Order: sequence, then C-alpha cells, then structure tokens
Amino acid sequence: MESTLVELRNVAVSYAGHSGERLKVAGDLSLTLEKGEMVYLIGPTGSGKSTLLKLLYMDLKPDFGIVRVGHYQSDRIADKEIPYLRRSLGVVFQDFQLLSDRSAFENIAFAMYATGKRGRAVKERVMQALARVGLSHRAHAKPHEMSGGEQQRACIARAIVNEPVLLLADEPTGNLDPRVADEIQKVLIKLHKEGMAVLMATHDYRLVKEFPARTMALVKGRLVEVDPETL
Amino acid sequence: MAVTALAVALVLIGIVGLLSWQGQQVAEWVKQRVGEVQVFLEPADDIAIERLRTQLVGQVGVDSVEFISTEQAAVIFREEFGDEADVFEDELYLPASFRVRLDPDHAVSDSLVQFQQRVQSWSKVDTVAFEQSLLTRVERNVRVYSMMGFGIGLLVVLAALLLVGNTVRLTIYARRLLIRTMKLVGATDSFIRRPFLVEGVLQGLLAGLVGSFIVWLLYSGLQEFVVGLGAEGWPAGSAFLTLFGLTMLGVLLGWLASWIAVRRFIKKVRLS
Repeated sequence: MESTLVELRNVAVSYAGHSGERLKVAGDLSLTLEKGEMVYLIGPTGSGKSTLLKLLYMDLKPDFGIVRVGHYQSDRIADKEIPYLRRSLGVVFQDFQLLSDRSAFENIAFAMYATGKRGRAVKERVMQALARVGLSHRAHAKPHEMSGGEQQRACIARAIVNEPVLLLADEPTGNLDPRVADEIQKVLIKLHKEGMAVLMATHDYRLVKEFPARTMALVKGRLVEVDPETL
Repeated sequence: MAVTALAVALVLIGIVGLLSWQGQQVAEWVKQRVGEVQVFLEPADDIAIERLRTQLVGQVGVDSVEFISTEQAAVIFREEFGDEADVFEDELYLPASFRVRLDPDHAVSDSLVQFQQRVQSWSKVDTVAFEQSLLTRVERNVRVYSMMGFGIGLLVVLAALLLVGNTVRLTIYARRLLIRTMKLVGATDSFIRRPFLVEGVLQGLLAGLVGSFIVWLLYSGLQEFVVGLGAEGWPAGSAFLTLFGLTMLGVLLGWLASWIAVRRFIKKVRLS
C-alpha cells in the first residue's frame, strides 16, 4: 500500500499580480509527506508558504512540475474533481473564517451538510469533533462570543469533522498569544498522534522548537530540510 | 433588495412592452386605413357586381370588401362636403365602388400596387385607387418610430437587466464567506449553486407577482384615461395570460441572474 500521501515534484509556481504581471513564488519545490506524518513549513512572511498550501488544496495549479495528494494529481485532475480532493483534506487559516451568524456546532455541521451528509450522524460526528478539540462546552456559542483560541478550535473541528487524511494549517497560531498558541499546537499534535497527517505553515520558530517535528524551510523558492534545534 | 430590483425591472419591461404593442396596433390600424383601396366600377348589373365582390374576397390578403352604391356615394359626398354638395343634388354622377381593406401584412405599398394592377384589368372595373404617397409617408414614419421604440425598449430592458444583475451580484458577494467555506470543505459547484438558484426563482416569482400587479394597475389606469387604448385590450388575448407571462419572465430573470452571478463568483473566489 502506498505510504506517501503528498508529493511535490520540481514544482514552479507564480500568480498574477495586481497589474496582471506574473509573480514568481517558487522555482523548484520538491516534497513528500507520508501518511500520519507531521511536518512544519517555515519561512519568512511572503516566502510562499501559503502558496504551497494552495497548491495542495488546488486553489492554485503549478506552472511546472507535479503536485499529488492521495490519488489526485495536478496535471490530471478535472475541475469537477477538486471538491472531492478537498473532502480528503482539512484546512485551517489564521483568520478563522467562521460564519458569524452560526454557532460553533452549526459551523461544523455546515461542513457536513455542504458535502451532502444528513441525519443523526451529523450531530454525533459534530459532537465528536468538538470533543476532540476540547470545545464541547462551547457548542452553541457564536464566533463573537468566543475567544480567539476557541474560534481556532472550532475551525480545527470543522476541518476534521469529515475525517480527512491530511490537515493543512496555514499560520493557525498567527493571531493568538503564546499561551493560547501552545494550546492550539497541542490540539494539532494530538490529532497527529491519532493518525492524521499535519502540514503546518508557520513563522513562529518558538513553537517549532517546543513541539519538534520534521521541518522544511522555504528558502529562495526551494524547500530545504532544517533541524528545528538550529532555529 | 433583489426582489425590489427585479420588480422594478419587470414593471419597466411590462410597461414598455405594452406601450410598444399598443403602438404597433395603432400603426397597423393607421396603415390599414390609409391603405384602403377604392375600386370604382363602370355601370354594372347586380350579377356583375356580385361576381366582382366574390373575386375581390378571393384575393390574397383581402380583409374586408364593402360595396358602395352610387346612392350611398352621394350620401357620403353630401356628408363630407355639406352645402357645397348642393350643386350636384339632383344628379347621381358618382360611380359605384368597392372599398377594399387589406390585412396589415398586405397593406403595404408594394402589395397594393400589385393588387391595383391586377384588379385594374378586370372587366367592369373603371379605376383602382389608393393613397400611395400618404401610405409611403406613413410607412416611413412607422419604420422610424418603430426603430426608435425598439431602441428605447432595448435600453430599458438592458438597464433593467443590469440593475437585476448588479443587485443579485451584490447579494451573492455579501455571502462570499459562505461560498468560500462551502468550497473549502469540498462542496461541488452545483451544490453551492442550488440554494442561490432556488432563492433566485422564488425572488423572481415574488417580483413577478408584485410587478404584474403594478403593471395591471398602471395599464388599467391608462386604459381608463387614454381614449382608444382600452379598445385593443391586452396582448395574448387577456390580462391574465399577459401578466402570467410577465411573472414567468420574472422567474426566468431571477434564475438567470442568480445563475450567472453565482457561477462567476464560484469561479473567481479564492479560498484564502
């Protein structure tokens, strides 16, 4: 059975700037991620960490090279297959992106409804997801009634409710103070230990040193493996 | 907001459509009257007159044929000329004639000239006449006014569609986070579109009902106050059918505007 979950092979990527010109982000990216593995993606702001994650959930396609996630490959995937790829992923952003008029429970259930799931299983799965991130007691709170840390937990619960094989976290602690950031990091580590692959983009080197895992640095458009202790 | 914009658009389309239809009816009526053909006869007995009538009725495009005897011609002459007709009082010198009215499609210069030439050659027919220069002028004016009406109508419809399109786009833009979240968790495009399309159809239906009611009020009011407007009634034969059509147009517009706006937005929206 194939153990490699994610593969980037000699990927070059650029995007259109405001005036229409192509802005090059990366020239030769190569990376593999095994099932159940945890990897940090580090680099300064603007180095292309978010762009690399976009390649994985195929919000962006590479100019050259190949991106493969599970059995979905960037050069073969049809547009109508992309939603099915995303169902095998969970994505968490720095700015939460919760629906403000819905409770934590409804936000998480929405992820199931949006993929066509109905019935009692939705409630059970949502409560399980809330329990996994330690937010069961805030199930009926709306985003404006929750702290930043609680909102990020709700986002993680939304990302994992459909049981993805890979969790992509784009600066998930960027908007949080160090104590709350540590709590969120522990939630991600727990999910990883339960068997979920996690790829986390961050520029918080303190977290990487405190919770070490394989670390890839984006340097001048290339990925280089670094020892977290040297950061 | 989208319902209001749609209803306004439908009222504009409905009123412009009804007035255009009325204008067309009036233009056809004028053309038909101006395009009346007078077939003056040589002295003829009843059998010959009846044979001519049958021949005329059998011609392509003939809508009605009315016989005017010399006596009736004299009465008409006296009615039109009043006291000045007295000099001819004792003499029935006006010829009998047929007044032929062609249907709107044939009441045009070219058809009338052909008709005139054909009938002119018949036995017992003296002269065939119609107001060719007036008809040509009327045709030219009708063409100009039709084009102007079409242009104005097109502008109104375009403005209405833009109004609806922009309003629906704004409504969908306001829910961009919802769409983004759906895309993020793997909802298919058709799944994302569905609620917006259902909403568009319902909004179109509601706007159609409101717009139809307003159009009915305005048009009924106009029919009361503008002489001759009521005579033509409604297109499609009845107010119900016309307004039903307008309501269905609302449904179609609501669906179409939502479909275009949400489709574009789904394509454009980025997940982060």
